[in-house]
Amino acid sequence: MTLANFLDSYIGRYIVQACCHSLVAALVADRAIQAWRITDPLVQQRFSLIVVLFPIVSFPAYQMINPERGSLSFRLEALFDSGRWLNMELWGIIPLNVVFVCILSVTAFVFLFQEMIPVVKHTVESRGPASPEEEPVDPVVGKALEHLPGGMPRVSVIEEDEFILFSSTGRSPTVFLSRGLIDLLNGEQLRAAVAHEAAHIARNRRPLLIIVFLIRILMFFNPVVLVEFRRIIQEEEKVCDDIAVRFTHKPRALAEVLRKFNSEREDLSLETIKKPSALGAALEDYSHNVHLESRIKRLEEGPPHRTGGEWVKFLLTLAVIVAINYFVV
Amino acid sequence: MRKNVRGFLYFAVTIAILVGVLRVTNWLPEVLQGGMMKSYGSIEDVKSDLGVRDIYVPSYFPQNLAWPPSRILAQSRPFLAVVMEFTQGKTGDVALVISQAADKRFAPDGTIAILQIKDQVNYTLKGRTALLEVGTCGNEIPCSRISWDEANYRISLTIKAPPFELVKIADSMLR
Repeated sequence: MTLANFLDSYIGRYIVQACCHSLVAALVADRAIQAWRITDPLVQQRFSLIVVLFPIVSFPAYQMINPERGSLSFRLEALFDSGRWLNMELWGIIPLNVVFVCILSVTAFVFLFQEMIPVVKHTVESRGPASPEEEPVDPVVGKALEHLPGGMPRVSVIEEDEFILFSSTGRSPTVFLSRGLIDLLNGEQLRAAVAHEAAHIARNRRPLLIIVFLIRILMFFNPVVLVEFRRIIQEEEKVCDDIAVRFTHKPRALAEVLRKFNSEREDLSLETIKKPSALGAALEDYSHNVHLESRIKRLEEGPPHRTGGEWVKFLLTLAVIVAINYFVV
Repeated sequence: MRKNVRGFLYFAVTIAILVGVLRVTNWLPEVLQGGMMKSYGSIEDVKSDLGVRDIYVPSYFPQNLAWPPSRILAQSRPFLAVVMEFTQGKTGDVALVISQAADKRFAPDGTIAILQIKDQVNYTLKGRTALLEVGTCGNEIPCSRISWDEANYRISLTIKAPPFELVKIADSMLR
């Protein structure tokens, strides 16, 4: 079976159309967020979920509604026929379908090593026996968290000078923070930082993201879904920022914590660009800083502005995505 | 409220632009490389545009079918394929589809879809072994199809009728 024949089979068409449908969905969802100036990360996350989940069912659903959707006549009248591009050849030598499959392979590779393996590793580690003994609470941390609503989470102090702050889920969810960070932050800031991690733990009890991740595994080959899922994770940070602010009523304290994490951005020098590994790390660092800066900015600007009618906008956006993608084959 | 209305307008405009971009993107391969499946006005146009010499056309044609073909589709990329549709003179419905493709898996279209095949036999057509299938389309209309390999092509004829006329048409396409 040639590559062209495979891409023309049911599975091949599923893969190709899933990528096209998610790209269209991403563009429409992004325009919707811009058009209605949706700043609430929870609502933005809802729009991003369309991009991740819709392409999983779109192709089989459309084919069920109209089995003739793949026919010649339909393709001729379609808004976009992927086959026209995949049958092209770059400089008359390299078929574009080979380039397309290479992109899918790289995406699958990235998904496996950057998402799947770390998640499995984390799941296995967090399934270990729950530590029976409660660690004594560090007095500084205890004092800072005594008025945290919803009860104080389990906190473990790492005796390191570096700035470390993360939480683990599983049987005994714990917030980990380093001695260096405790020494650096004041009481309000410490409370805000732990409240943010407590929000992650609380949201993990309603594991929407885990369910989405499990479904999203089906789209392991899809580069658009890879990018969009990371966006959802970034939105999750903002959702937890908002929860932390609701707990503490101190957005500026959390902004200060984030500012301390925001490392100095290095300019991309020519020397850096010449080294692919260094360039990758620098770009990742840059992207991380940009994300932190956007979180700081929105914390300083105050709570998200809701224009209302979010569900109407969501349903309209979904309807547009469904309608356009019907004609994308 | 005014912000929301402006948002709806802005959204509508961007969706219209997106649809336009999709249309242009769909048209680009034809401009960049050509040879994509498209509609032609006549068989001569197909021959001159795609540089194909051997397009198989019947010399026998039943009176109830209209000539020339109501629709001609052809492509040269990724393989050569020509599809001709003929309508019934009275009703204007597509009654005969002739396809010629350099790939055996090519499916001409669902214009005449045989839903149930009742009989399948090998039929000798001027020395070629053809597969003759008889069955029904929608509404229990009798339909038949004959297909065989000719040079580098797979030729297939589907008609909304019993196979008698179909065999005559197929026979007239060969020397």
